[in-house]
Amino acid sequence: MTQLDHGKFSKMTTTFHTLLALDVFVLFFSGYSLMFNDELWWMVGLMGGAQGVSAVHRIAGGGLLALIVFWMLMMVTTDTGRGNFREILPSKGDFDAFIQDVQFLLGNADERHANARQFAGGTADEIPLLTYIGKGVVFIFAIELTLLTISGILIWSKTGVMDLFATKTAAAAFVTFHGLLGVIMLMGVMFHIFEHGFHPALYPVEVKAFIPKSMIPEDHDDDTEGTGIERLELSPSWNMASTVVGAMTVIGIVSVLLGSLFDEGYPVPREIAIGGGPTDILLTVGINMGVFVLLLGLVLQMYGNLLRVRWQKRLEQEASEPTAAADGGHVESDD
Amino acid sequence: MSYREHLPETKGYPRAAIAINAVVALAVTALILWWAADFAVFYEELFRIQPVAEGANAGVGSDWTSGNQVAWLDFLIAITHAADVIMGVFILFMVFLHWGAFRRLAGRMRQSGEGTESSAVAADGGRVEEAAGGEDTAGSGDAADDSAATDGGETR
Repeated sequence: MTQLDHGKFSKMTTTFHTLLALDVFVLFFSGYSLMFNDELWWMVGLMGGAQGVSAVHRIAGGGLLALIVFWMLMMVTTDTGRGNFREILPSKGDFDAFIQDVQFLLGNADERHANARQFAGGTADEIPLLTYIGKGVVFIFAIELTLLTISGILIWSKTGVMDLFATKTAAAAFVTFHGLLGVIMLMGVMFHIFEHGFHPALYPVEVKAFIPKSMIPEDHDDDTEGTGIERLELSPSWNMASTVVGAMTVIGIVSVLLGSLFDEGYPVPREIAIGGGPTDILLTVGINMGVFVLLLGLVLQMYGNLLRVRWQKRLEQEASEPTAAADGGHVESDD
Repeated sequence: MSYREHLPETKGYPRAAIAINAVVALAVTALILWWAADFAVFYEELFRIQPVAEGANAGVGSDWTSGNQVAWLDFLIAITHAADVIMGVFILFMVFLHWGAFRRLAGRMRQSGEGTESSAVAADGGRVEEAAGGEDTAGSGDAADDSAATDGGETR
């Protein structure tokens, strides 16, 4: 069972996060099975061949367009949204947090900086809404999604792009450009999955993004110094799981990066290569590992939502039977 | 909702704003896709031989050659490749950084089976000895098991 830390996001944000994640996973699976069709041939088949994959990709693309337009509107038209702009701006604290993380890794610092802390524990009032990584995620994903959507809309009608470019080759190159753009996000999402799935205190999934802050009690016992992480018990499977998935994440990132260089198109290959890139067994295994990490992310985010449902049920149960729950539930007397 | 009484009052987004913005977003999406689907081009022009390239490359396949000569597209793709590599290396570094930090944090946590008085054998196959720091990984020089629980936080 996951440890419940402090709430951060509103219900709208957590719901949006889930919808965006599902949509982006479908876009990744369909889009990169096209781009890396040599390595992910089975996935193309799974989605009904080239036409099926394109159809799936376009439907999910329409979903993404709706989602990002909605998000932009929410950020601009509501007080809460406008009020959050300050929270995403990088500060000196974020740079310090990055430096301190390196120091922490090397053993020269005893704690992670407040701006890097995923597990807040007893120090909740010190930590900002977003860690320095969180801010990076917001910026990178916002830029990537915007560029991908614009280039995707231009590709929506292939003939339209051809009309813009006047040659089939340039149109194909533009499609390549769209695929290359997404590689940063593809690698970033793999890291995102590892970061929020394998923090030892929050393993197997950090629920902050799934349980809205309105459902998390704010009381915390401040009798401990620091986060209180030393009072938590490490899951017996964490060691093996984090090592295996960490390795898969690294291999996946390296592989899609290499794959994007091989399947480059510059704008399209100088020589016509039938079958695309190199049919390299190692690259095939590596890219499939990356896809497996994405699949794991899909599973973990569904699990996060399952935890939210269970949590809500437990809250309702505790409210209906006011006897002190002996299982460490929050039964504080509010007087 | 009765279970809400112990929960904090939080500031969220107004329901009306969510509803209105959702409808507007769907409408905008429909409009954009309608516009995108309507790029008109005459099909008979599409697969014509386009003899735009000069010299030896003129004629059949010349659109291949000229397609490879759109300078700004060529530049965009080169830039994107560079960005992919730079960001890829950076993201990899971040993975290793977090991997190592997680191992250090895990070393501070109570290991399963530790701290209980009874030395009953854990029947679930868990390792019942200190597992942390056993194998040195991810370059964290000294073993991940610093039990020096310093007071955290204010190290700014």
